[in-house]
Amino acid sequence: MDLKLTEEEKLIKDTAAQFVDKELIAREGDYLRQQAPFLPPGAPAKRELDPQVQKELTQRARQVGLWTLELPQNFGGSPTSAVARVLIHREFGRSILPFRPISIPAFLFATHYGERLAAGTMSLALAFEEAHKTGEFSRLKTLYRQEPDGCILRDSSIFVSQPRADLFLFPAREQGTQRLGLFVIERDTPGVTIADEVELTTDATVARLMLQHCKIPNEQLHGYEYEGGQIIAVEQLNIAARSLGIAMRCLASSIEHARNRVTFGRRLAERQAIQWMLADLSLEIRTCTWLTVEAAWRCDQELTYFEEAALAKKRAAKMAFTAADTAIQIHGGYGVCKEFPFEGFYREARLMRLLYGREEELDRAVGEKFLRH
Amino acid sequence: MEFNLSSEEESLRKIVEEFVRDELIPLESEFANAPDIFEGSRWRSRVKSSQDAEIQRYVAMMEELEKKAAAKGLWHLDVPKEYGGLEVSNVALIAVTEELEKSAIPFELGNHVSNILYNCKGEQVDKYLWPCIRGEKTSAFGLSEPASGADPSMMQTTATPDGDYFTINGTKMFPTFADVADFVQLFARLPGTAGREGVTCFVIDTGTPGYRIARSIATIGGTEPCELVFEDCRVHKSQVVGEVGNGWALNQAWLGARRFQVGIRAHGKCQRVLRVVRELVRHEAKDAEEIAGKVGYFLGEIEALHTLTYLGAWKADQKMDVRAEAANVKLFATELLHRITDFALEIAGPSGLRKNHTLARTFRHARATRIVEGPSEIQRHIIQRALFREGAGSLELQ
Repeated sequence: MDLKLTEEEKLIKDTAAQFVDKELIAREGDYLRQQAPFLPPGAPAKRELDPQVQKELTQRARQVGLWTLELPQNFGGSPTSAVARVLIHREFGRSILPFRPISIPAFLFATHYGERLAAGTMSLALAFEEAHKTGEFSRLKTLYRQEPDGCILRDSSIFVSQPRADLFLFPAREQGTQRLGLFVIERDTPGVTIADEVELTTDATVARLMLQHCKIPNEQLHGYEYEGGQIIAVEQLNIAARSLGIAMRCLASSIEHARNRVTFGRRLAERQAIQWMLADLSLEIRTCTWLTVEAAWRCDQELTYFEEAALAKKRAAKMAFTAADTAIQIHGGYGVCKEFPFEGFYREARLMRLLYGREEELDRAVGEKFLRH
Repeated sequence: MEFNLSSEEESLRKIVEEFVRDELIPLESEFANAPDIFEGSRWRSRVKSSQDAEIQRYVAMMEELEKKAAAKGLWHLDVPKEYGGLEVSNVALIAVTEELEKSAIPFELGNHVSNILYNCKGEQVDKYLWPCIRGEKTSAFGLSEPASGADPSMMQTTATPDGDYFTINGTKMFPTFADVADFVQLFARLPGTAGREGVTCFVIDTGTPGYRIARSIATIGGTEPCELVFEDCRVHKSQVVGEVGNGWALNQAWLGARRFQVGIRAHGKCQRVLRVVRELVRHEAKDAEEIAGKVGYFLGEIEALHTLTYLGAWKADQKMDVRAEAANVKLFATELLHRITDFALEIAGPSGLRKNHTLARTFRHARATRIVEGPSEIQRHIIQRALFREGAGSLELQ
């Protein structure tokens, strides 16, 4: 065994950490207070990054190699290992700024969208709603039928996050064979409607993606069962890594606050109730860190890793939620202030627990498999 | 990064895996009703005086297993090379125990020697260390007292210097196997000292005048720890282990070293408990969904324990400070085992509490492990102390 980071991994981690400190955390104060230049016109309830800042950050992230992490060499990228991606997303998780490297499944770079996806002139969203419950496609209902002149997708209506994306990766099962296919659907394809955009409790939105009499050219069918599973596992690892970042930030801030804040003549750090909250949190961070890194390492070694990624995601997202809750509690009134990042982490972590496999569903699947054995 | 065992560690693990498959698993049904005294490595001292034919039958089986293990080179794994041992890595020891735990037979590879005894010097080496390595002698560990358990720095037993001798007075609570041990590793303080200062470690032979075993105390964990009384017990200064007044560091080293084994033992026991659950619900459709959910949850926690334990053992091999890692493992492992066993008992119903039922045994054992060698609260204390000392950076990936 050797659990040390390689020199290259260290470099990647340090680069990401510096970027997050210098470019993101340094801007948090303004973002959280939504002062100019962060405040979009009309002062909506939802916080957003100013498009200009977003553009600037994207450019800088791209310069230091922290943007499209899966970008192949022929597009000028250097695809990072799964472990490196965990290290990067973990650092980005430390900031509440809604800015992080985009995740594009590598096989899409081989399509005619590759160039525009790589350049960032085209955006992609995963229309994976039916996978959020179980973390796999077993309950996927949408069916398709392949015909010589294209695939006919059965009428359906699902929720998608990032509804403003240009492309949607849409999974469906072939009628009869039940084979999974992943379709790339352009948003202005005839028969595709995106409507009813609503805000979530996080600063994101969802909308309805409706298909009616929708026919997709056969060459838009990319990827099958394995690619689908792989995308979910990658998303799970991203969530786990981001959760670790959230938890590390919450832990560090809570330690700092507990060291300084005095109640009834003693520092919070001397109170057992506070000590134990943080002891338990640090234990969870340790276990989740290594479950996540190990799952990513297995991915890099081309070993099976889907189950490991699901477990890492399940435990880490729950841990991030607890971490934010603990940080809010220890910071007291400041904890629920929108000028501090903790309430934002709290809302975000609650959402992450619901993505790509709910705790009960993942537990039940693992348990059923064991009991059947 | 590399999560696999080294080829050396892997070949050792394989030998143990085969040993478990060929020698232990076939004996499992035989051992299903064995008395508790065969739990742990020191069964030999407990059965010394027994004439019970049934116990002698188990003794014969255990001795046969020991011979077979030794023949495969599986003996003295953690003994330093300078004492003829294999001195394998902590990670390897964890991998070995993980394999052994796949069987319900309470068989341990020996001979484990308290790492305090490696501080023996001069004649102590021949008198105490070697006989322990060879399995001829066993020792007890005298640290806790009637009024100091979790916080041993409050110990009151004194060692008063008197020429070339020390006079020891005080009472020690709960040393296990003291009644059958050949000597005790005793911690006492110099007069007028407090806290961690002045603590001195002695080796004292059973039968030394002034040292008596007042009683042995039955516990739910299956062991019968003792109460030791020292009344003007005169001990020559050559019986001091390490330096006079320097015993605190020794007792900390003893406590720290065992934690990762506790972790991997609990890991194996947790899995076995879930296998019992699987047998219990095999033919029941009732509440299947709810049970599967809980089983799946626990399987994930068991995986987490596995990762945490190997991480700690690896850090120990890198000579890093593993006090906080060890506390994490001890806390997580013992609490998890207890929760899983509690859940299994809910499934089994009252029949799971029959005294010899595997769940009842595990339950009694699990309850005790949340206390012995540092209760959960002390583990949390150790974790938070390190956290506030080193900050969140101590959790950073290096």
